[in-house]
Amino acid sequence: MKVRVNAPHVIAETIGGETIIVHLSTGCYFNLGGPAVDIWEGVAAGEASAAITQRLLARYEAREAEIGAAVTRILSELEREELVVADNGGAPATDGAAAAPAPTAARAPFEEPSVNKFTDMQDIILLDPVHEVDARGWPHTDPANA
Amino acid sequence: MTRSTAETLVTDWIAGIEESFAEAADDRVTEEIALAGAPVRLEFASARMFDRLAPGFAHLVEPAAAPPELTIRIWDSAGAIAEPPLPDVPPGPRGRIYYSEDGSVRVAYQPGLKLFSVLDRYRGLGWFWCSAAEELPYWESSSPFRQLLHWWLPSRNMLLVHGAAVGRAEGGVLLVGRGGSGKSTSALACLESDLLYAADDYCALDDRAPAVHSLYCSGKLEPAHAARLHHLPEPTIDGDGSEDEKAVFFVQDNYPDRVCRSFPLRAVLAPKIAGDEARMVPLAGAVALRALAPSTLLQLHPADPEAFARMARLVNSVAAYSFELGREIAAIPSAIERLLDELGPA
Repeated sequence: MKVRVNAPHVIAETIGGETIIVHLSTGCYFNLGGPAVDIWEGVAAGEASAAITQRLLARYEAREAEIGAAVTRILSELEREELVVADNGGAPATDGAAAAPAPTAARAPFEEPSVNKFTDMQDIILLDPVHEVDARGWPHTDPANA
Repeated sequence: MTRSTAETLVTDWIAGIEESFAEAADDRVTEEIALAGAPVRLEFASARMFDRLAPGFAHLVEPAAAPPELTIRIWDSAGAIAEPPLPDVPPGPRGRIYYSEDGSVRVAYQPGLKLFSVLDRYRGLGWFWCSAAEELPYWESSSPFRQLLHWWLPSRNMLLVHGAAVGRAEGGVLLVGRGGSGKSTSALACLESDLLYAADDYCALDDRAPAVHSLYCSGKLEPAHAARLHHLPEPTIDGDGSEDEKAVFFVQDNYPDRVCRSFPLRAVLAPKIAGDEARMVPLAGAVALRALAPSTLLQLHPADPEAFARMARLVNSVAAYSFELGREIAAIPSAIERLLDELGPA
């Protein structure tokens, strides 16, 4: 499974071990903490789920099956919220084994990653929806009709 | 060199906008202001547009010391004045915004409200049109040209952010959070203290050497909340009591010595209606960013990923607190003053 960030509708920043994601079209925003931040960073780096699992295995104390299941669940949740979309083209997925970082000396306990959703700003988008006008639209007039 | 068809169309379209402004501008009023440290010229086509949109900038008026870096032409089509060449789009709900960008030209049109903003960034020239001055919604009078300033401020390495700001000449605070969190009440409560007022809703932010720049001297509150601040004068624009209509005050009118243009930023506060006594509780930068960034990014189009990164750097570079407002509005300014005393000058 490989997904990519749903740009330009989605923008994100990581600060102090927390990733904040804003979906500019739905008005929802999200925060990720702990292993979910690593999963997001893997997605942003163009990694497939296998590589993301290896990334987490190097950092957290848990069985591969447990981490793999958590990665699949979080990627599905991110996809359901349209924060990521399936990436069937573009650059080949980074191979998991090749991309796996060296295990850290002391791996952290693995906590179940989660995606927290906030909808308290959604009314901004619902009240003032934005429509982009494509390059052939206004302010140009179609020369054929000018 | 010949211009492309697209360039010609945009040029002709801008010429149509200029023609509409020129037709309306038989009673032109020009105001020179210093906005975020830059000379800006506001050219109002009529006194009625001046009366509706100039009061928010009263604290920034000063004679131009240099050619304007931005000129905004402002008019309406009251009477028999022809409308500018507006986009042919369906009207839709009141707030719907149509946005387009072509080279240096950015355009936003709200057909439901008949508000039209255009900025040519290379020329430092903006246009703001509405169908009739008296139909402008209250928020356009309290915070005019937000869209234009959102597009223009990055040329000054600044961001337009959603937040209130109060402080002292040597340093102040930015109050962030969604509408209803207590930003305006806190900022307007400070008018009875020694703190200076810079913003209640929107301001310009320089994240390099963190500083706040005032854009508007207005403050707006729901009428019921305004009634709790006994020191406030009668509002210039009176809320009609409905949920989406606020009372608007122009602080410069009654507190001219309490309004300031800028100060270094010492802390970000996320006000919260909680607790018995006003107090500051240290806040993680990520939580402060959650209070600042989404409400800013979702209100101003297009959202800029770089602006998000700059807001993240900002909350990393100054202290952040959850500001529990307590029960006594009068205690709000003292809590901010105590914090600024503790933090010291920038």
